[in-house]
Amino acid sequence: MSDVTRDQLMAHADGSLSAEESAAMDAWLAERPEAAAEVARMQRQTDAIRTLYAPVAAEPIPPRLSVERLRQSGEKRRGRLWINAAAAVFLIGLGLGAGWLLRGQMETSGIADRLIADAVSAHTVYVLENRHAVEVNGADSEHLSSWLSNRLQTTLAMPDLSASGLNFLGGRLLPAPNVPGGRAAQLMYEDAAGARLTLYVTPSPGPDTPSYELANLGLDTALFWADAAISCTITAPYPAEKLQSIARTVFSQLNPTLTDYRT
Amino acid sequence: MIDILHEIEAAVPALRRYARALTRDLDRADDLVQDCLERAIARRSLFRPKGPVRAWLFTILVNLHRNNLRGARRRGDVVDIESIPEPSVPPQQPGHLALAELDRAIGTLPLEQKEALLLVTLEGLPYAEAATILDIPLGTLMSRLGRARAALRTLTGIPSEPHLRTVK
Repeated sequence: MSDVTRDQLMAHADGSLSAEESAAMDAWLAERPEAAAEVARMQRQTDAIRTLYAPVAAEPIPPRLSVERLRQSGEKRRGRLWINAAAAVFLIGLGLGAGWLLRGQMETSGIADRLIADAVSAHTVYVLENRHAVEVNGADSEHLSSWLSNRLQTTLAMPDLSASGLNFLGGRLLPAPNVPGGRAAQLMYEDAAGARLTLYVTPSPGPDTPSYELANLGLDTALFWADAAISCTITAPYPAEKLQSIARTVFSQLNPTLTDYRT
Repeated sequence: MIDILHEIEAAVPALRRYARALTRDLDRADDLVQDCLERAIARRSLFRPKGPVRAWLFTILVNLHRNNLRGARRRGDVVDIESIPEPSVPPQQPGHLALAELDRAIGTLPLEQKEALLLVTLEGLPYAEAATILDIPLGTLMSRLGRARAALRTLTGIPSEPHLRTVK
């Protein structure tokens, strides 16, 4: 051990020497306080760097870094890719006309899912609010109606759901990046037990939107429909049948100029 | 297949720690880790266990970070507000101040030195594994480490070392 380089000292300080080399180095250092101090300095440097950043590893992992979640969303993405690819092959076989039809359907069922997701997240946020559940109170329903109709550039009446035991609380305007115009209206109702129902209304996202979709979300159920003028998602902690019967009432009142709601 | 997901998951705290030290920015660090995890999860079937999963993950992370920086250089860099010198900060705790100084000093290191230094000191990886991750020979790793350590010493104002270039 006559020739010890700075690199070897560093490797010793960093624990990268073999057990044997390390023991020999310790013996060598025992007689050379200056070199031993140098090793200690390097170790202190390492300790300081760890003190600085090591606590990060103890922080709770944010949900977006959950491996399970990322795996699921990755698989969904791949699934969609696979469906697209399969559809493309199928289309070539079927001919261009049928192909375009199918492609249209795939894209628009996506828009329904996105609108349901927007509706449900707005529902989840605002039904928890007590004093600020709505932006404009339901007592002022005429003003609400004209305001929201203007903003959404369509005719919107405020449906009366008292026959279903639901009291109108009011409404608010929300951003809706997934639809033309970029705005949605949320109307909120409350039953005698305090359970809340919301309508999430947007201008029609496009001609090929599926007319009807039902989504079960654990506690809540969401019912989506769209016609030529608007789309509406009803979200409430009710079973599907009850929601469907409410939907009929909503549809007939929301936009009276339109044809009947078909179940 | 299931096992590799578990191994990936087990490495998340270390990846976050390394990314945070590398970027010194919480959001950018977690963005980096998320990109890294997405890539690793999507490509896990391609992973052949010739080394630890950890090394593979760090390789992905380091490469993504380099790509991001390349992109950032073209777009103009985001300046970390902490890196802007503050006018005369009254010294609080001396230990706290020294660490803040060290943090800033690490931020000024050239990327290749910073990558190497943090893998070895913060992550405690053996030289051989760190060299594999950075795809450089062992000697190169050690010289980057040596330069990083010397630079930090100068930057944090710790009195320079007695002459120890070669000890006989």
